[in-house]
Amino acid sequence: MHPDWMAGMLAVLDWRVLSFLGAGVVLGAIFGALPGLTAAMGIAVLTPLTFWVSAEQGLAMLLGIYCGAIPGGGITAILVNVPGTPASIATTWDGYPLAQQGGAGLALGFNALVSGFGQLASIAFLAVAAFPIAEFALRFGPAEYFGLTLFGLSMMAGVSGRRVVQGVLAGLLGLALSTVGLDPLTAYPRYTFGRSEFLDGISFIPVMIGLFGTGEVLAQIAERHGKLQAPPEALGRIWPNRAEWKQVAPSSLAATGIGVIVGAIPAAGGDIASVISWEQARRLSRRQEDFGKGSIEGLAATCASCNAVIGGAMTSMLTLGIPGDGPTAVLIGALLIHGIQPGPMLFRNNGDLVWTIVYLLALASLLMVGIGLAASRPLARMLRIPDPWLWTGVLLFGIVGSYALNNAVSDVWVMLAAGVFGFLARRAAMPLGPLVLGLILGPLMESNLRRALILSRGHWGGVLGRPIVVFFLLATALSLLWPLWQSRRPAGRTGTP
Amino acid sequence: MITALAFLALGLYLAASAWRLPEGPGAFPGAIGAAMALLSLPAFRDRGSGGFRVENSRTIAATLALTVLYLLVWGTGAFALKTALYLVLLLRLYGQRWRTAVTVAVVMTAAVTLGFQYGLRLTLE
Repeated sequence: MHPDWMAGMLAVLDWRVLSFLGAGVVLGAIFGALPGLTAAMGIAVLTPLTFWVSAEQGLAMLLGIYCGAIPGGGITAILVNVPGTPASIATTWDGYPLAQQGGAGLALGFNALVSGFGQLASIAFLAVAAFPIAEFALRFGPAEYFGLTLFGLSMMAGVSGRRVVQGVLAGLLGLALSTVGLDPLTAYPRYTFGRSEFLDGISFIPVMIGLFGTGEVLAQIAERHGKLQAPPEALGRIWPNRAEWKQVAPSSLAATGIGVIVGAIPAAGGDIASVISWEQARRLSRRQEDFGKGSIEGLAATCASCNAVIGGAMTSMLTLGIPGDGPTAVLIGALLIHGIQPGPMLFRNNGDLVWTIVYLLALASLLMVGIGLAASRPLARMLRIPDPWLWTGVLLFGIVGSYALNNAVSDVWVMLAAGVFGFLARRAAMPLGPLVLGLILGPLMESNLRRALILSRGHWGGVLGRPIVVFFLLATALSLLWPLWQSRRPAGRTGTP
Repeated sequence: MITALAFLALGLYLAASAWRLPEGPGAFPGAIGAAMALLSLPAFRDRGSGGFRVENSRTIAATLALTVLYLLVWGTGAFALKTALYLVLLLRLYGQRWRTAVTVAVVMTAAVTLGFQYGLRLTLE
């Protein structure tokens, strides 16, 4: 009998698993590099391809997409000033000016190397911190889980920026959708409208494909008018020299820490982490005037932080079952389809699988560094693929992928409805993250609250008075009040372009 | 305004229909419905939710209409033919030339049919 860390490694050393990992990283880099195609969309649309393979092979591909997409998004941000994914918004601020000054190769080199560093450091955090966190979470009963999910849901407000009310309404819609189907405790049918297809609830994957795939395509049809500008022909040197490394090291290290923390916070993703890190790096830099004009410190900070989100988000998702960002929200649905229930019991019963995930993430990061250094040029050429080809491809893949889940056309209709809602929500500037969070956390929240009330014989004091629950309630109040307070303040002066 | 109205209506519907459910299964959706209806009220004051303009609305409407038609004939046989036709029409709608549209549609249809129907043994007919 091998220890978990070794059994996890043995599972990875299978050529089929490694092949799926490689394919996932390449697909992720392509999804990330093409504007409008995101990591969450890549995972959602390609999850159906993993239904027919083992959990390890499926996981390898999906984790590869996750690790490949974020640095892939940086390539587009640097070369054509368009963030390939939301996480690389801040990468445009210094990456594009640096590329325009003849440093496109250097910017792409930093994007690959510092992104790889950010990912690997955050995966090391996952390997070290996840087991103790899961051990602590094993003490949680239904009341504590209710407190945790309530805190997770309160982050709906935090990630909604100044549109707090819209964010909370979207989250409530997600919670409402999660009540469709059989009641988790009594199996009483709710909101099924007499249709047997809805007894198991609304399928998560078609909703994700609709929100992030079809909805995004419709939004792009409505918004995009012009063509992307051509990327520069000559890239120049890719490898940074020693002085440049010395210059970016402090900001990269600090940004990695920020990325891990932001990633671990439910629903806060790479976009938030990279903006915070860029601002932090600018404040601490001796060359503040270079920021926004091609600063390698600013570029490195954004690359490190948006990639370090991966380890933090995976830690929250694996240990507590609460997604740290958009892609991990979609990953939860994919894991459940493969019979893997994230949470502390996963560490007790399937410790080897947790180690497999850690090794897969680390290998995917290393592969991504290689692809980022060697294949940035061909990836940049892919920007010339006409948008209509991408739109029709995503629409068709979304339809067939949703159908493949249960061989049911009803899932495709759900996908289409989610797509229309996703499009309308984008037009109304309503954040979609809270909706996903509500849909995932709704059943956990309801069933744990009701179990806790049954255990305390209906006394709310017995549920809300427990020390860990009190902590989560205070954290919930803080996370709800902070953005409200922020939204009432006049916008402060920052250096963001 | 439209967003706020939609959430108010949905919240009221959820809260009202939760009354018809037994106490246990009805409590959670009832609370969500009430919260949704209450929070939709401040959204009426929000100028950002006061409506939005959809550009290229005809293209979007045509995309949705074609997709609905495609789904209505799903499962009636000849998957490859229907899919290729659906894609050609979409690509023409997005301004592609006939020759490009037909080529791209045939390649995509072949890839999906080979991948899902023959590779993964999914029944698409």
